Amino acid sequence: MPPRSSLDEVVEVYKKDIDRTLIRENLKLTVEERFRNAMALAQFADELRCAGRKARKREP
Amino acid sequence: MTAFDTLLVALTRHGVAFIVVGGAAAIAHGSARLTQDLDIVYERSSANLERLAAALAPFSPYLRGAAPGLPFFLDRMTLQNGLNFTLTTTLGPIDLLGEIPGGGTYTDLVHQAVEIELFGTRCVCLSLPQLIQAKRAAGRPRDLEALAELELIQEEYDNPHS
Repeated sequence: MPPRSSLDEVVEVYKKDIDRTLIRENLKLTVEERFRNAMALAQFADELRCAGRKARKREP
Repeated sequence: MTAFDTLLVALTRHGVAFIVVGGAAAIAHGSARLTQDLDIVYERSSANLERLAAALAPFSPYLRGAAPGLPFFLDRMTLQNGLNFTLTTTLGPIDLLGEIPGGGTYTDLVHQAVEIELFGTRCVCLSLPQLIQAKRAAGRPRDLEALAELELIQEEYDNPHS
């Protein structure tokens, strides 16, 4: 087995915080469903950004 | 937001030889991470450059981040004279890559890439091992969390009942 690099160590730390249940749910979907979900999420994120901008403009 | 569906269908209907890479490829393999653009590695023959330019022409491709009004026109010659292009289109951002670190060119990548059915078409996407290798080769700090998720996805495929 090759020696672990510092990159491996960082990646292993990140793995501890990733929700495996989300991955498992995604793997149940077709590829097309994964893309449609991603596009819907991106649209939601755009709407949140837009709402945030409007809210900041209203601030005194 | 990038309209992955319309962009991918336009590319495949024009017969463009390309491979989906980056965040979109990660989505194809099950990533839950949000990506803002479509990254593709394209084949560099003259005929394919013509097809690529024609496929994107209806969507007003322009250099991302550049001042408006520059004399930029995406055609075969433009593509031939460059390699990697980060573009905006009316369908969202798209990155056209002549090669990627850790993977190489279209020709280097295509044999191990996988075919996926998507939006009524078939297109080619980096395999999960290729994607992991490319993320490792890039080694950018912002890629490390994505790399961790991709490796977990690989573990789920390898040990589906663990």
